[in-house]
Amino acid sequence: MSTPKWKPWSAAPRWARRAQLIAVWVAVVLAWEGAYRVVGWRPWIFPAPSHVLDATLGMLNVRTGFGEPLHGAWPGPPGAPGAGSRSIVGSPLVVALGVSGARLAVGFGASMILGLVVGIGLWRSAFLNSLLGPLFLGLQTLPSVCWVPLAVLILGINERGILFVLVMGSAFSMAIAMRDGLRSLPPIYRAAGRMMGARGWRLYVHVLLPASLPALVGMLRQGFSFAWRSLLGAELILMTQRRGVGFLLSAGREFADVAQVVAVMGVMVAVGMVVDRWVFAVVEQRVRTRFGLVAAR
Amino acid sequence: MTSSQLRPGLEVPRIEVTPGGRASRKEGGAPRGRLELVDVRYRPPSGPGMILDGITLRCDPGEFVVVVGPSGCGKTSLLHIAAGMVKPTSGRAMLDGREIGGPGPDRAMVFQEHALFPWLTAAENVGFGLKMLGVPAGEREGRVAEALRMVSLSSAGARLVHELSGGMRQRVAIARALVLEPAVLLMDEPFASLDAQTRTLLHEQLQRVWWETRHTCLFVTHSVGEAVRLADRILVMSAHPGRIRKEIPVPIPHPRPMDSPELGELGHIVRLEIQEEVTRVNAEVEAMVGRPAMG
Repeated sequence: MSTPKWKPWSAAPRWARRAQLIAVWVAVVLAWEGAYRVVGWRPWIFPAPSHVLDATLGMLNVRTGFGEPLHGAWPGPPGAPGAGSRSIVGSPLVVALGVSGARLAVGFGASMILGLVVGIGLWRSAFLNSLLGPLFLGLQTLPSVCWVPLAVLILGINERGILFVLVMGSAFSMAIAMRDGLRSLPPIYRAAGRMMGARGWRLYVHVLLPASLPALVGMLRQGFSFAWRSLLGAELILMTQRRGVGFLLSAGREFADVAQVVAVMGVMVAVGMVVDRWVFAVVEQRVRTRFGLVAAR
Repeated sequence: MTSSQLRPGLEVPRIEVTPGGRASRKEGGAPRGRLELVDVRYRPPSGPGMILDGITLRCDPGEFVVVVGPSGCGKTSLLHIAAGMVKPTSGRAMLDGREIGGPGPDRAMVFQEHALFPWLTAAENVGFGLKMLGVPAGEREGRVAEALRMVSLSSAGARLVHELSGGMRQRVAIARALVLEPAVLLMDEPFASLDAQTRTLLHEQLQRVWWETRHTCLFVTHSVGEAVRLADRILVMSAHPGRIRKEIPVPIPHPRPMDSPELGELGHIVRLEIQEEVTRVNAEVEAMVGRPAMG
């Protein structure tokens, strides 16, 4: 066999790969901006990066003018609260992130506990599993915003309605993931735990839950992205007194501010990615290292 | 310890044998640890047929009994019944005259492999049972250290399970069972997945530990060599259905040197008897069913 002349990309040093990726993205953004400036794309139909940047900073009460103004209030977001405030802390984006974050904490917490308990129930009882398992799997095909009409009719347009949509959108998938995690446990852990006198809830707390920790972390990771998506969908539709990130997206549409729409979408993706990579991925790595499922770095 | 730095799995056992074991330590009172199975039959709820068919055996306090048999003869089921993890279809399983109701720390089990908890350190694994029994942390520490010393792993307590070699893991598993001060030690082919050298070292070590503590041991294996090295008494099992076919005493005093020619000779005899047994059973089954049975 002859040695290949080229090395696989993954063999390059980490910094070189990073630099390459960043360079490509910078080139894409520059080309996009260039197209807008040279060709003359109409920015109110498709905004340039400079508009998106203006809109993002505008939501933080920082006025910039990288692109040409799109409307009278530019670059301040139209229809957002805190128009009087000039500080970053009181800016529409920070306030909205705070509101959405609080909802997420409460809703995701509730959904986690529900998923855990129901997941254990499904695992323990073959009857429950046959009864509810297929239903839960079926409900997962339902987009979470489809819970909104029910939430409005039963609970009204309020915090409880939003939390209902969030929990419905994430609890079922977490219950199923929890059940599957427990199912994949080697039965020998249970036997060993019982042999050493762990019974009842102590068997769960000291043996079964720690043993399913790798699966549990995966469940939380997936559940979080479900919860975040459900929350944003609910906020987009349910206009309540307190205004979350979803509201900013909706407001951008109302005022035909396409730059704000793109900017808010960017923020939503960024929040999801940051939490996934800097919270869940880190925890997952630590758990897997402790269990010896990966070589320690 | 230089030996452990060189290769952890091949650590030389350093055990000071203290004369007089657990039987004499518990002053007064009858020595405990009499395990009895009476006419035990076991047919799994979903399985095809009888796994165990009329097993009667007795392990006296402090006795080391080894059950040998081909794979699939129901050795593990037998052990699970003694542990209380499985209920026999009929017959009785008793410890010191009391019916065995469920799994418990008085019948500690050493599993085949991968039964240590990977989220705990070696010491936490050993201390787990004591924690479940409500032993206070201070006392627990001392007993865990003592158990780890018995299997010469005093320096490895802080390691995680995946940082231990296969031999060390099984020693931790033995320590985890010993620390419970069980009446009976049940072992399910604990060394089956180890290489021959490590296995020999562990035989030697188990022998010394047993000599020190004098637990009643019920040990299951498919290796005749292992049986002859460790046993006071060997029970030969046959499969389909599982029955005890033969009882062979091993009248060689403990602690035994693992390379003694006597052991080799006895091993040869036992191997021949088992071979004979297997052939005979196969012939019986063939005559009955008209096809060769699985050996």
